[in-house]
Amino acid sequence: MNCEVCQLKELDIEHFEIREVLRCILHTVLFHRALGLVRPKDIDLELFEITYVQCGDVELERKIDEKIDQFIDRVEKHPNKKNQICLSFYEVKNKQATWFTNKVERLYWEQWYINLNVAQHPKGISGKSYSSKVVVDPGAESRSARRAALETSLRDVLFQIIRFVNEKKDHIPPIPNLEGVSFPYEITISSSSDSAFGMDMLKRMLQTGHPTMLS
Amino acid sequence: MDLHNYPSQGENGRFEQILNQFLLKSLHIILDSRVPANRPSSRSGQIKKSDKCLSFWNRTLMEPMIIDIILVRESPNSSHTMLSNDVFTETVVERWIVQHESQSQRSTPPQTSDYKKTYKKSIILLRSVYSMLRLLPAYKAFRKKSSLKQSCNFDINYKVCSFSSPFSRDEEHSMKKYSFVPVEAQQGRLSVSVIYREDLSDFNLDAFVSCPLEIITDYVGSPLTDPMRAFSIRENHHSAPSRRHSWTSGGLHRDVSLLHNHNQPLSGSPPLYRSPYEYSHSPTDAYINKNQNQRLTSFQKTSSEDLLSPPLSSSPSPSPPTYFSGGNIQSRPVSIPHPMMSRSPKYLSPNLSDPSRHHSLPPLSPRNTKYDPSSHESSSGIRSMRNTPISLGQKVSRDAKEDSGRFSSLLSSSSSPRVGFSRSSSRLSFQDDFGDCDFSCPFIVDDVDPPDMQMSPNLDARNSSEVSSQTSSTAKKSQDAAVGALVHMLRTAPPLRQDSSCYNSSQSSKIEMEGEIGAASEFFNPRKTSDALEELKTYKEMKNLLLSKSNAHMAGKGKIEN
Repeated sequence: MNCEVCQLKELDIEHFEIREVLRCILHTVLFHRALGLVRPKDIDLELFEITYVQCGDVELERKIDEKIDQFIDRVEKHPNKKNQICLSFYEVKNKQATWFTNKVERLYWEQWYINLNVAQHPKGISGKSYSSKVVVDPGAESRSARRAALETSLRDVLFQIIRFVNEKKDHIPPIPNLEGVSFPYEITISSSSDSAFGMDMLKRMLQTGHPTMLS
Repeated sequence: MDLHNYPSQGENGRFEQILNQFLLKSLHIILDSRVPANRPSSRSGQIKKSDKCLSFWNRTLMEPMIIDIILVRESPNSSHTMLSNDVFTETVVERWIVQHESQSQRSTPPQTSDYKKTYKKSIILLRSVYSMLRLLPAYKAFRKKSSLKQSCNFDINYKVCSFSSPFSRDEEHSMKKYSFVPVEAQQGRLSVSVIYREDLSDFNLDAFVSCPLEIITDYVGSPLTDPMRAFSIRENHHSAPSRRHSWTSGGLHRDVSLLHNHNQPLSGSPPLYRSPYEYSHSPTDAYINKNQNQRLTSFQKTSSEDLLSPPLSSSPSPSPPTYFSGGNIQSRPVSIPHPMMSRSPKYLSPNLSDPSRHHSLPPLSPRNTKYDPSSHESSSGIRSMRNTPISLGQKVSRDAKEDSGRFSSLLSSSSSPRVGFSRSSSRLSFQDDFGDCDFSCPFIVDDVDPPDMQMSPNLDARNSSEVSSQTSSTAKKSQDAAVGALVHMLRTAPPLRQDSSCYNSSQSSKIEMEGEIGAASEFFNPRKTSDALEELKTYKEMKNLLLSKSNAHMAGKGKIEN
């Protein structure tokens, strides 16, 4: 059983958009992995004209919000690095107590990487002026353009998720739990420099079957 | 999809169950996401329609299920026609195609785990369809229709059939197709695809929201829409303190105008300091706050100053307290009672010339009454005795009466401290008179009978010791303050003629003075009237002795010269 990895499209977002974007993406992925009895709940984003679907599980919402808070803290601590959230689905193998370790073995069969590039300047107004004819409110126009572009990108990310979940179905293990999210999962946060970013991803891909040490 | 309601019919049966459930579920999902439930029975009507459709597909599972989402709008040309019939334009904005493609050839018999996988995959497919329905453009129209309900100018309809008319070329160019990954199974595969109109701007969905909004009767309003409301609220909030102190505004201005304008400018001029309570954003509010705070601080000053409390003004000028101390008088003229004014001046001022003083004391002895007290004469006598050169005989004879009168007058009006004063003056006068003669006894014998004849002074040098003893005993009994004053006068007196006789007398007098000083210093006792009378007697005796001595001396001199 291989581990399917999906690298979602990188999004350039503002600090105040982190929560909504992450909620949208994470809930969309988990909704496609909650194969049991669910009560779908439509959530409208406040910053974008996008509606996503939640499982309707209160515990799931709480866990996701906690992780988002951790991500925000990480972003504040490492502002000059690319931040990434990894949503991993694993399968618990039989507990085999060996003399090396007594930990439970996890077999990751799917990993989702959400790549966010949080802008440092919350206003998002570029300091460049390309023409002498200054618009009355150039900041508002740039913000609206950026917002529209981000909405399109987010919509593309959602389409990407739908496409991936439809294309990759064979690697999904049997359903252990019909309540809520059917499969055990974990959300990890990492921030790495541009040079080491690819290495971390490669390490995770090679570490299939071992728990990620990044959290 | 609920597979438990279906009886176990083997793997084929289970697959058909999955298929049926899948079709039903997909139909529900699509209709629920596109056709708003405007009518109460609409949802049940949809279910009934879907059941009918499903029953139809039960017979022919191989035919696809085509679901058209139709946007019904009023034709633009209908407004120009006079026909009562409305012409509506229907446009298919979405077409969902749910299809099962069976496989006739089966290489291996189906297993139990197969339908589980098929079930799992079909569920994932349904999840995807569910999510996709929210991402397509038609969802926006659905949301608008659902929110506006009857007041919307367009309608959304649907059509479920197994066949559909193909789209025109123009429609195909304006529409996109998205096909979901089918669910592969041994019995066939489930596929779902959608053809949708990507751009709905031609339909002006936003323009359709031209219906009147609901009127909220209990609308409160927000500061954003009504800035003046916020301003009025703030003003009312601040007007309370202004009203509280409004009565001081006029008085404040009056008082401030009276004050020395060292502290702050008067009202009407912009304040010079920023209030710590300023928090408003509008300049008007800021100005109101500043003024009111200025009034408050000034009010504090006024109240404090009106109450004659220590001024709270930060100004270093001391004018406010001084002003208000006087200002209070101006505002509230109060006659300050002077209880001292009602007193008789005789008790206050040691005016020796008051003729009424002697009435306060008991009358003198009859001996003393020979000399009628005359304050006027006594005072003049004092002055004459000081200024004129020494002519002892005349002066003494002339002044004897005056002295006695003076003494009597002095004693009549004197209390103990003033007696000392009077005595000092008398002693001084006598010192001038008897500068040349032997001054063995500083005390003048008064006409008043002394209580003891031994106390009478003796000016003769030979009797100086007796006199000194007498005087010392007198001083013991009488008072020492007068003695001390006499000693002081004798020491500070101008020098006399340096005669041998005078020198001898002065020496003896010095000796006597020393003795008297030593005696006087020991007796600083409170005095009484009887003591004063006794002292007066001794003074008279001393005076007589001095006079006798001086007459004898003058007589002797006159004989020598001759």
